[in-house]
Amino acid sequence: MKASLLLISLLTAGIAFAAPPAPKSEGIEGKDYKWNAQGGEKSEALNKKGDAKAGEEGYETCGACHLPSGAGRPDGTFPQLAGQHTTVLIKQMADIRAGLRDNPTMYPFAATLTDAQELANVAAYIEKLCIPLDHGHYDSKPGDNMDKNWKAPADTDKRIADGKALYEKECLECHGKNGEGNKEKFYPVIAGQHYKYLLRQMTEIRNGHRRNANPDMVKIIKKYTDDQLISISAYQASLVMPGNMCKPKAGKKK
Amino acid sequence: MKFVMTLLAAGLITTPAFAALDGAKLYAEKTCNACHGPKGDKPLMPNYPKVAGQNAAYSEQQIKDIKSGARNNGQTAAMKGVLHLVNDEEIKAISEYLSKLK
Repeated sequence: MKASLLLISLLTAGIAFAAPPAPKSEGIEGKDYKWNAQGGEKSEALNKKGDAKAGEEGYETCGACHLPSGAGRPDGTFPQLAGQHTTVLIKQMADIRAGLRDNPTMYPFAATLTDAQELANVAAYIEKLCIPLDHGHYDSKPGDNMDKNWKAPADTDKRIADGKALYEKECLECHGKNGEGNKEKFYPVIAGQHYKYLLRQMTEIRNGHRRNANPDMVKIIKKYTDDQLISISAYQASLVMPGNMCKPKAGKKK
Repeated sequence: MKFVMTLLAAGLITTPAFAALDGAKLYAEKTCNACHGPKGDKPLMPNYPKVAGQNAAYSEQQIKDIKSGARNNGQTAAMKGVLHLVNDEEIKAISEYLSKLK
């Protein structure tokens, strides 16, 4: 709490003077952890009406990594933001800013947002982006997205089938039949997210490294092996994100 | 001698058989610009370095060391998250590009 107060004072003083280190709040490792506890900047941002026009400017900083299209990188380094629920976007940004989700690469960028209103604005802007036609699929490794000759591995179909069976057993209940998540409950859209990003986040949640995770999710995912997570990620990445898809460019095959 | 001169001249106007990596393009594509500024002289945070005009050999060594974990002090955690995006050759090209910036 002290850290976030300090952060706020530094932010209002203008971050040009000093770069605050990322704060560290107690997350899932603590015994008093309450997932998605309301209050503070997060609740404030969720209750504000985001101004997408103003958010466009705030998003410029984000676009350097997540791309102006909100597509992220197919190799999974940066997630696709386009198509994600605003509630999820706000929660994750606020959690990173509050030191509940550790992400040293993103933290300084998240810290450049001035206040709850700007969080809401950026989320409103992202909500307006169309969903890119393609993203990272099973076994996309760094660099694959630059390689025009990349082909899906031979066992892709089997991976997707195995993943579907696993997904429908336990994941479907919260993340939905088509991976659409749940806006009101802060459950993210996972359909059509980059394969490598899904795999990394699930692994981190299982291993307790994503400190803002939902304990209900941790309980479920605890028993899964690496191999099973690979299949589940392959399946999720094979689904189509629900929502407003981008139009194919004329003269360009999908 | 004349023959050598002709060869040299030919070499200058025809493109080499292998395309050299484009450091400027890599610098933007691999998200270096996000933290160090589009021209390498305006970092996002005051404790991130200005990298424009730095000696190529120095940049190259630091990037490699941060990638391998040999250097893990200061702000390196922020940079380590993107270094799987570049290989040794690309690191070299980016470092050479930076050394030519003012």
